[in-house]
Amino acid sequence: MKFSYKILLCSIVTMAVSFGIGGYFFVNDVFRASLEREIGQAADDSSILKFAFETAALNIPSKYDMLQNGAVEEIGGNLENRGQGTQRLLRLSDENRNSLYASEGFVGDTALLAKIGEQKRAYQIIHPDEHYYIQTGVMVHALDRILYLETMRDVTEVYAERARGFAVYRSLTILLLVLSSVFLYFISYWLTKPIRLLTRAAREMTSGDYSYRAEQVSSDEMGQLTKDFNHMSHVIEENIHKLEDEIRAREDFIAAFSHELKTPLTAVIGYADILRSRKLDDEKHFLSANYIYTEGKRLEAMSLRLLDIIVAKRYRLEPQKTGAEVLCAYLKDMYAGKKEYQFQFDCEPCRICVEVDLIKTVLLNLIDNACKASEPGSVIEITGAEREEGYLFAVKDHGIGIPKEELRKITEAFYMVDKSRSRSHNGAGLGLALCSEILKLHGSELMIESTPGVGSCFSFLLPEREGAGDETSE
Amino acid sequence: MIKILIVDDEKPICDLIDINLSAAGYHCCSVQDGLAAIDLIEKEDFDLILLDIMLPGADGFDIMEYIRPLKIPVIFITAKHDVHDKVRGLKLGAEDYLVKPFEVLELVARVEVVLRRYHKTDQILSAGDVTVDLEALTVTKAGKPVILTNKEYGLLVLFMQNKNVALFKETLYEKVWKDEYIADSRTLELHVQRLRRKMGWEKNLVAVYKVGYRLEI
Repeated sequence: MKFSYKILLCSIVTMAVSFGIGGYFFVNDVFRASLEREIGQAADDSSILKFAFETAALNIPSKYDMLQNGAVEEIGGNLENRGQGTQRLLRLSDENRNSLYASEGFVGDTALLAKIGEQKRAYQIIHPDEHYYIQTGVMVHALDRILYLETMRDVTEVYAERARGFAVYRSLTILLLVLSSVFLYFISYWLTKPIRLLTRAAREMTSGDYSYRAEQVSSDEMGQLTKDFNHMSHVIEENIHKLEDEIRAREDFIAAFSHELKTPLTAVIGYADILRSRKLDDEKHFLSANYIYTEGKRLEAMSLRLLDIIVAKRYRLEPQKTGAEVLCAYLKDMYAGKKEYQFQFDCEPCRICVEVDLIKTVLLNLIDNACKASEPGSVIEITGAEREEGYLFAVKDHGIGIPKEELRKITEAFYMVDKSRSRSHNGAGLGLALCSEILKLHGSELMIESTPGVGSCFSFLLPEREGAGDETSE
Repeated sequence: MIKILIVDDEKPICDLIDINLSAAGYHCCSVQDGLAAIDLIEKEDFDLILLDIMLPGADGFDIMEYIRPLKIPVIFITAKHDVHDKVRGLKLGAEDYLVKPFEVLELVARVEVVLRRYHKTDQILSAGDVTVDLEALTVTKAGKPVILTNKEYGLLVLFMQNKNVALFKETLYEKVWKDEYIADSRTLELHVQRLRRKMGWEKNLVAVYKVGYRLEI
């Protein structure tokens, strides 16, 4: 059952019950008030008649000591006929409660007579036929006789009014219920709108549309729920995008990896095939064997590099304190033999706390890259400077530079700006990927500035590590 | 002579294809750069172009656009094992698609198929005094017709297409019988012996130890 229908049904049942109970009490209350009034009226009538009877009894000539039964009948007949317009219904009984005079149509029973006391007026409501009557009874003293005067008052109208009240109320209730059902239907539909919208949003998300958001139509608890739901979807969407990006990066990596793997493999397999199935002259024989060797080396270099990256990703850093100038001197020694380029080393002395071998690898990679990008004979500057936030290493070349749109992708594995050029330098496109992994470990990142045709500057800031100063004192 | 242009940014791959196609009797040129390739295509006429997709300068698809109006058949060679790329290449009008790493024999075979489709191959193979007409399916030795069975003819064509190349028993069997080679089967050996006798190649068609046979002319 739909929630809106539930609301509707509950409201209707509640309304019907309360209308019913309320109406019953209201109509009954009106009825009781009317009946009370009628009873009062009947009592008044009874008093008037009693008084009239007593007066009439006094007026009888006193030749008789006792009031004769015939006289009672006469007075009764007079009283009955003296009623103005309406016919009075009365009955007169003697001391023994035997009827002396009764109006025509007086249908009241005699049970009431027993209830009449000295001062007490008694009444009862009787329902002998389709009419309702109030029957009153009172004791009358007349000339030493005690008589009983009973009257009857027709109150059918009051009862009919009650029945009419109930009927009117019933139809009114039904009408109201129908009308309010219609209203309530719309109200519950409106109230449950956020739920429907949320349901739809949840379904859309389930079917894969993570950007779908539920429309917020209220600012109450439902609105809050919608808001929270949307926030949740937003977070989920972000996470999914992140995961998708990661998967895409991984797929790209695998595609690039298999591509990089296949090319040397093709050469190795192809040349090996030539060697085993052809008679070749010495020159071609050497060429083939050499290609197998160099391509095999390339595969080796690539697998080692990859291993480095994988290791770097899982590496737990164990920094040692060292002097930046010591690192610089080491590099200077390393490149002392390489005369094709002019290396300029200029590092401010400073204590830095790093994993020395890793930072060496980064610098070596950056310098190698700078060499690959430069023409022989050009200047490559390696600088180190103390900054407020840490120590800044920079490797600057005056080579071909990197186009702006390539800058972002440059640290991706296997990415090469100029493939044929780096290939000829035996690159696999993994150097910068490794560098950024190592720098990530050190809480740093690679910054690249480059202008095509002018040169590039690769730099990274080693943040000052906590405790670096303490270690020196230990 | 049929001229083939090889465009691949990897020198070793270029040389590898070059050596194999030259041995099969084609004349080959190779370039490692997309733009250089276009220059060369402009200057010289080629019967077939082997084209890598990932190239410096201009990529394979760009070059393909340039080649299309010249109606030169193209075979793509790439390491990308991507259906999308394959479809793109073929839609651009490439004749075939070869994924690295490829077998040399496969390359040669595909080159031949494409050339035959363009009617650029000689329909006559010759080795010494033996000539084979691939269209008329006739074999002559010193002007006299030789009668061969279907399988013997298949073997002969393979040997003549791969002169001085040691052909593996597996390869021969798979190509001619179109079935998987069973190691101890003597079927192939019997057929080669019969072919040797019929062609008078007792000395030319030599057995290569642990490999198979080679036609030395």
